[in-house]
Amino acid sequence: MTTTGGDELTHRTTGSTAETDPDDWVLALSLEGPAQEVALRRLHGLLLRASRHQVTRMCAQLGGADAARVDELANQSADEAMVALLAKLHTFEGRSRFTTWAYKFAILQAATEVRRQAWRSREVTLDDGEVTVDRGPSVEQYVEAADLARAVSRAIHEALTPHQRRIMLALVVDQVPIDVLAQRLGTSRNALYKTLHDARVRTRAHLAAAGHLRAVTVSEGVDR
Amino acid sequence: MNHRRVSPDALRAMTLDTQPWLSCDECFDRMDAYVERLLADPDHTDVPMATHLNACTACAEEADSLMALVRLDP
Repeated sequence: MTTTGGDELTHRTTGSTAETDPDDWVLALSLEGPAQEVALRRLHGLLLRASRHQVTRMCAQLGGADAARVDELANQSADEAMVALLAKLHTFEGRSRFTTWAYKFAILQAATEVRRQAWRSREVTLDDGEVTVDRGPSVEQYVEAADLARAVSRAIHEALTPHQRRIMLALVVDQVPIDVLAQRLGTSRNALYKTLHDARVRTRAHLAAAGHLRAVTVSEGVDR
Repeated sequence: MNHRRVSPDALRAMTLDTQPWLSCDECFDRMDAYVERLLADPDHTDVPMATHLNACTACAEEADSLMALVRLDP
């Protein structure tokens, strides 16, 4: 194996060219010329591996998408992840391997894309109507299940704002994916999670005031 | 008025303790290091990350996937 002139990242083997990952990804991607081109190609390969992994994991949500569709989504996600990663390249601090850091961009992009595709023809309705807690057999797993159920129902109607209630019901009860809801509402995943967090804090405070927090804590399986 | 039947799982999810606060963006920033540490030491503890991942299904799905992918790496 020899290093070719001007391209330290390309290793030539007998009869073929084999590219290897750079030792310093950030440096390689920051260079100009052939070395950067090699690094970019290698990076795209990493991202495609991760996006294909993610799309394949979530394939069932796409209603039996064929291999071509999986490939299309994976490639599209890898392309978008590449743009996102390069914009954040300066923030890589080496707290993990570069490959692990890179993978997460592709996984996020692919997961978001699959969720959006899975929900593209589904209507998302936001309302804060009445909630009836299912008191089927499994509810009996909860300590003081009936009282707790009534208390939670009361808490979300008395302690939450209409917006918090709509977001909580959409995300938790209707199970609308958070990035799908963010897209439909023109907001961000971060903002919706904050709304859900605040709603949970208020719900728990209301339950605590009503003497139900112990039951909630037991149902979480956490001894605090 | 729309009535919803709420499952026990949903009931639990509505009442989760999500303190200490960690945003989805912060979770994303820390996810790579968290996954590597957890793979190296299954007893590794990061309360804000664990709390967020228990409460955010999207981030949890992505962290699980990253862990599975990194586990495949040499």
